[in-house]
Amino acid sequence: MRQKILIGIGLIAAGLLLRNIWLMLTNLPDEAFQGAIFRIIFFHVPAAFTAFLCFFASLISGIAYLRTQNLKWDAFSVSVTEVGLAFGAANLITGMIWARIIWGIWWTWDWRLTSMLLCWLLYAGYLVLRRAVEEPTERARLSAVMSILSFAVVPFVFFSIKWFRTQHPQPVLYGQGKMDTGYRAMLYGNWVPLLLFAIILIAVRMEQERRQRELDALRREIHAF
Amino acid sequence: MTRFLRQMFTIAAKDLRSELRTKEAVNASLSFALVILLLFSFAFDPTSDMTREISGGLLWLVFAFAGVLVLNRSFARELNNDCLDALISSPVPGPALFLGKAIANYVLLLGIECVCLPIFGIFYNIHWTGQPAWLALVMLLGTWGMTVVGTVFSALTVNMRLRELMLPMLVYPIMIPCLMASMQLTTPLLASEPISGDMLAWVRLLVGFDIIFTALAVTLIDTVLVG
Amino acid sequence: MNDAAARNFEYLAYGLSAVWLVLLLYVLTLVGREGKIRAQIESLKRMVEDREKR
Repeated sequence: MRQKILIGIGLIAAGLLLRNIWLMLTNLPDEAFQGAIFRIIFFHVPAAFTAFLCFFASLISGIAYLRTQNLKWDAFSVSVTEVGLAFGAANLITGMIWARIIWGIWWTWDWRLTSMLLCWLLYAGYLVLRRAVEEPTERARLSAVMSILSFAVVPFVFFSIKWFRTQHPQPVLYGQGKMDTGYRAMLYGNWVPLLLFAIILIAVRMEQERRQRELDALRREIHAF
Repeated sequence: MTRFLRQMFTIAAKDLRSELRTKEAVNASLSFALVILLLFSFAFDPTSDMTREISGGLLWLVFAFAGVLVLNRSFARELNNDCLDALISSPVPGPALFLGKAIANYVLLLGIECVCLPIFGIFYNIHWTGQPAWLALVMLLGTWGMTVVGTVFSALTVNMRLRELMLPMLVYPIMIPCLMASMQLTTPLLASEPISGDMLAWVRLLVGFDIIFTALAVTLIDTVLVG
Repeated sequence: MNDAAARNFEYLAYGLSAVWLVLLLYVLTLVGREGKIRAQIESLKRMVEDREKR
């Protein structure tokens, strides 16, 4: 049943994605200054949204673990962080490819690029930390603390963008951003399939974590004989 | 309340006393700072104007690298003879233990910084005495941010494999906003320019960082140490 | 289509494939972990059978 639901979600996501790509390539006109390459934004920005949503979920599940001491929350926290890192990497790489065309360079130490990379490293640190602790409850406890502290830094990292000169295009969704409504609809529209894919990945990873835990318990039981 | 403060200062005094008697962390950290100061001179021309432009960054890198050596020892020192277990089971509450250790680290780090600063000034020909009050404020705020984050992670990593590697790897990304602000503020101060206008935003960032991470550390320390 | 526009499209294709490549890599790590879990189950089974024989 669970598998069928996941496959169903996957099919919906794939359908939406194909429709979006089709619309993107045929219906939407090229952006005036950037040409065809601007379409990367429809993956670049939703990937970033997904990544941060995942990191936020990791914070929530960290707090929930510390409150309930239920290892399910810990499994959710790892899964969400790993998927967030995958989408963060997708965001960084698409950003670099876009920058290569528009700015002519792969990477610039613009503060927003830097802060995204920094967040990525922070959460990669979370995974490294998990590997260094053997005992499951201790691992869950320490990594919950780590994810709370990591998320506390994220706003600091991103607020400092205001005080730096930046080469990055100004935020396009709010403020005096002037993104066309058709583009905006596509941006959010394309977030839906990406989010659905993220949910599938998280579900699969959580299932693995659960089975791993059961396996460890079984092995302990057998050894205890 | 007074009891809490007394316990806090007892822990701080204990840490400082044992550190000043052996001087193991301070000596290592100071000589490491000197080595870094020497190494920087090979990376660029130490007499040029460029030095002045990046002086704040250089100085805080030295502080951050040397500081982690001290912070690493903070909880690791208690591993011998199970002193950490004794401290945890003593009537001292977790926050008092944490703040005591943080204060001891703070004093040690500030001491190391006060030694490094004149040496830095001499080696790189920088007149750092132009804005003493502001410079002191930035150093106090920046160092407290570093200390709080470093002490929490020192507690977090104390029982881990490869503790000495884990601490810097986890701690530097979290310290970055604090280091960043301190670097931005220190560069003009070393050129004897006062802090004004836009630069005050960095001071606010530093203060905010210090407050939030102190609060988080104090609330989370019991989970880290006891569970 | 001029040169710049062609290059534009080429990089667009790279970009779109990069997203899926990254996700694919992640899926591969998931598959790898699945294999590891399977292997553990197998070894556990063998261990239980050994014990039952004895």
